[in-house]
Amino acid sequence: TAGNKILHFGACRVSMSMAEIRAGFTAIKANIQARDSIRTLSILSYPHSLHKVNSSDRCCITHHLFNFYVDKVFKHCRTEDSYVNRKISSIANSFLSMKRKLGQCHEQNQCVCGQESTEKFKQILANYEELNVTSAAMKSLGELDILLDWME
Amino acid sequence: EEALPPAPQNISILSTNMKHILTWSPVIIQGETVRYSVEFQGEYERVYANESWIPISECSLITATLCNITEDISATVAYNLRVRADLGARRSEWGTLKGFFNRNTTSLTPPVMKVIADGYHLLVELEDMGPAFQFRVLYWKKGQERRMQQKVVKEVSSVVHLDTMEAGAEYCVKAQSYVEAINRSSSFSQTQCVRAQGDTSMWL
Repeated sequence: TAGNKILHFGACRVSMSMAEIRAGFTAIKANIQARDSIRTLSILSYPHSLHKVNSSDRCCITHHLFNFYVDKVFKHCRTEDSYVNRKISSIANSFLSMKRKLGQCHEQNQCVCGQESTEKFKQILANYEELNVTSAAMKSLGELDILLDWME
Repeated sequence: EEALPPAPQNISILSTNMKHILTWSPVIIQGETVRYSVEFQGEYERVYANESWIPISECSLITATLCNITEDISATVAYNLRVRADLGARRSEWGTLKGFFNRNTTSLTPPVMKVIADGYHLLVELEDMGPAFQFRVLYWKKGQERRMQQKVVKEVSSVVHLDTMEAGAEYCVKAQSYVEAINRSSSFSQTQCVRAQGDTSMWL
């Protein structure tokens, strides 16, 4: 089916249209990654992979990452290509929908932010701030599959 | 100076089974060909991206008065849609859909279904309604409605095996479609009943 999945983030369970998001990203991945000329830096994986995050911290860091992509990344990814822009819109609106669902659980205090997730997210922001905003946004968008793989 | 064409009116969306079609009334200008262009705006664009609009290239400068927006309405959030008319170099104001559109308002119909008795096997064929759809199939031996059974079908393959039937007995089936992305179901289809081969006297 459209691949709605129930993802577990600590005590939070959120139904997400992962297949729709992956389809949208796969359609523009090559185009987006071709725009990223800085190969020596990763936003999400430097210095440590997301996979190193404790499961108890999963919910909090996912909550932070949804906010990060929605508040900071997508708006700086506008391109001259209408098709790419439509797919980015599709992903952005899906992220907005997911951010809202996870936000509800976060508000019910079931999404505890530990030391590790706070440190990890600070590192991600530091990596992001190293670059100019458009390069940082494009690189972050190009790394979306890293986030999707980790979430699933 | 030549007048601008009027903005398109009666803009609405026909949405059935997660297929969304935008339609509008034609702008009639005698002896002229009017062309239309469509743009959409998701909640993300409205709230986080300066209320920007995104053109749908398949529906840019078209003469038809409808546009399939299914592929762009790909999240369960509120969308805005607008259409404008072009007459040569002259361009109308935008006509905008009244209110927002959210795909969770799509109307869902029960699946087309064919029930088959293949010897003692109760089978059902279900319509492929697209990747967003799952199906809930209920089946029972006629007269034993309280022992109704259920099967959830997530991927539509050719035929679904429901049960092995008792000889000569009649079995009934009904089904509804379900879309997980919007967490909604259709009504149930008509019930269809079939009879297994052999005669009931075998069990007496």
